Amino acid sequence: MQPKTRPIQRFAQAVGKCTPEATLYGKCVVADYNSIHKDKCAKEFLKLKDCYLAAAKAPK
Amino acid sequence: MRLNLARVCRPQNLSRPLLAPTTPRRSYAFQAAGGPVFEVFNRRTKWLQKERAGADVERSREADYLKDEIASRVCERLLDIKRHFPRVLDLGANSCNIARALTQENPDPDPAMPISPPLSTKITELVAADSSETLLYRDAELPFNTSTDMTITRHVLADEESIPFGPASFDMVLSSMSMHWVNDLPGVLAQINNVLKPDCPFIGAMLGGDTLFELRTSLQLAEQERKGGMSPHVSPLADTRDVGGLLQKAGFKMLTVDVEDIIVDYPDSFALMQDLQAMGENNAILGREMGGLSRDVLIAADAIYHELHGNEDGTIPATFRIIHMIGWHESADQAKPLPRGSGDINLKDFFEKTK
Repeated sequence: MQPKTRPIQRFAQAVGKCTPEATLYGKCVVADYNSIHKDKCAKEFLKLKDCYLAAAKAPK
Repeated sequence: MRLNLARVCRPQNLSRPLLAPTTPRRSYAFQAAGGPVFEVFNRRTKWLQKERAGADVERSREADYLKDEIASRVCERLLDIKRHFPRVLDLGANSCNIARALTQENPDPDPAMPISPPLSTKITELVAADSSETLLYRDAELPFNTSTDMTITRHVLADEESIPFGPASFDMVLSSMSMHWVNDLPGVLAQINNVLKPDCPFIGAMLGGDTLFELRTSLQLAEQERKGGMSPHVSPLADTRDVGGLLQKAGFKMLTVDVEDIIVDYPDSFALMQDLQAMGENNAILGREMGGLSRDVLIAADAIYHELHGNEDGTIPATFRIIHMIGWHESADQAKPLPRGSGDINLKDFFEKTK
């Protein structure tokens, strides 16, 4: 029997496919982290999330 | 208008304040009455987390690398004490990591020396006490339990904050990786001092200082950016300089406090969080937000962790800062500092003459 994959592992795999988007988002947050506020990097985050959603849906 | 203001000012909707003073209870008098004991951690949550971690035997054994490493570093300190210990307490034993480290051969690997016997030859009986029964008995069937002459007695504690042993009943107290979950650290240290015989050591290690600061900062930034506010996800921890004061307050003599950093690399922040969970070291702060982190925050935190702290090769480092402490129970024949003003030589003159 195949060992059960935990949801967090599938989640981590999907997020791992979006490194370029994650780097962009990370750079945006880290650029000026002393004045962080809500939705400072909303645009970059939405791109990252779109990528994650696509990766999560894609068949393995 | 005035009525409304009064209602707004009264904090009636706060169902649980961040730091709630506990209900009074009987304990050893370790400081003047009146100082409230703050409750930071939810002990029941911690207990549940440890039970759960212990129930998944395979995963929790895999994640034992940190506790095993710290336990062996604690036990190394025993090499300096040339003495036999008839009865030793391991407080907060987790899965008996200290017992395993003690029974390992050759605690001080030196190619020039012949293989030395395990440290357990110095100990007759080891009482391993922990509140989580599942975790404590997880490895009860493994060969290290019977491989040496040291007897391992497992004792399930009702609560790690009250030690149910009589005064002066142990020749040494060890503790590794559990005191950072104690609410009442001064009280527990005073109790440890109480169960020790005169001129007997307490050797402990716990997480403190900047432990997991990478995870802490990434989660803070991610929550701030995604949600516009943050809640505690990494425990507040004791600082090195606090520990010295605490030991002194508890009545220990001849103190030694030192700090070590262990940096572990993980592929991503999820692997780190999974391992923390398997260790039973997940968040148990009273004021934490209930339920898991949202996926948005997790995705954001992972990206920030990689960007802010990540290594060149795409892995992420996690710092564990271990505070080691040694204190001795007071005894008449211990070396003591001379009283103030009893010096005969003026140090200023001495150093000026030798110039």
